[in-house]
Amino acid sequence: MVFNTGAALLDAIVLAVVSKEPEGTYGYKITQDVRKVIELSESTLYPVLRRLLKDECLEVYDMECGGRNRRYYKVTSRGWAQLQLYESEWREYAAKVTSLFEGQERN
Amino acid sequence: MNRIEFMRQLERLLQNIPEAERAEALQYYNDYFDDAGVESEKEVIDALGNPAKVAENIKRDLYGDEAVQSSVKHPPMKYQDISNTQQQKEKKKVEGGLFAHIGAWYEGLPDWGQVLAIVGLVLLSPAILGIASGLIGTLISIVVAWFSLILGFGVASLVLLAILFALVIAGIACIAEAPFGALALAGAGLLCGGIGLLLLMLTVAMIGIVTPAIFRGIVSLCRKIFGKKEVTA
Repeated sequence: MVFNTGAALLDAIVLAVVSKEPEGTYGYKITQDVRKVIELSESTLYPVLRRLLKDECLEVYDMECGGRNRRYYKVTSRGWAQLQLYESEWREYAAKVTSLFEGQERN
Repeated sequence: MNRIEFMRQLERLLQNIPEAERAEALQYYNDYFDDAGVESEKEVIDALGNPAKVAENIKRDLYGDEAVQSSVKHPPMKYQDISNTQQQKEKKKVEGGLFAHIGAWYEGLPDWGQVLAIVGLVLLSPAILGIASGLIGTLISIVVAWFSLILGFGVASLVLLAILFALVIAGIACIAEAPFGALALAGAGLLCGGIGLLLLMLTVAMIGIVTPAIFRGIVSLCRKIFGKKEVTA
């Protein structure tokens, strides 16, 4: 893709990916799901998760899985609010760019 | 490189970040390898790149754009902000020390307010300088007084201990001629010695426990006033 993914958009995408799993999801799966949407170097995701945790948009809990503890990430109520904000901002932004492109086509 | 080497290198590279952060990061990447499965260990290592890059990403997020200090920190990297009116608002939020807050307050003033603030500052500068030097002088004299106190206690304890030995020896010397007098002398010596030991313990406690605590207090006070400085041990 030619477009860069901004930090805010990356936060939004990660929040959206985690929000699809009501029971929470884990680091490896989040990375794979995000990579279905955007190109992303695998070492980039941990700092994003850490940041979202620190901002209390995500919370973690450990669950036993195959004889070991796996760390699960879950969206908090604050995270939901943030995600909604991101979504509305995105719609506005995308609509503007789209209307610009389509308007130019007609000229 | 295999998984164990990768994790070992990563741990070494993260030596200088806080313990809790290091443990979190290492657990994340351990989980990551576990979830990817043994068969894709090599792929994961290739995809993650070298441990140095992974460690750099973590540290950049921890210490990176400290200057911005928004509540949402972003790694500069290849990401450029696209749509973030919300973040621009947050940039105004300053987490630094007293000066940073004053700076933010000053930035927020209208032009005439900034001029007024500067004029006021210039007019008040003699008073501000006087108060500041007074405070610094007080602080220095308190520190000096504290160390004199320690010195005084230390010397007193040594003198009392010396008296202990002197009296006990004197007592032993005259034990044949005046046994009761000798006992009284030795008893008085032991009493002095006891007080001396107590003082010695007090001195050691003052040097070893109270003084570092006071300095830590002063340092954290300064940090609050001048803003947080990154400490990379």
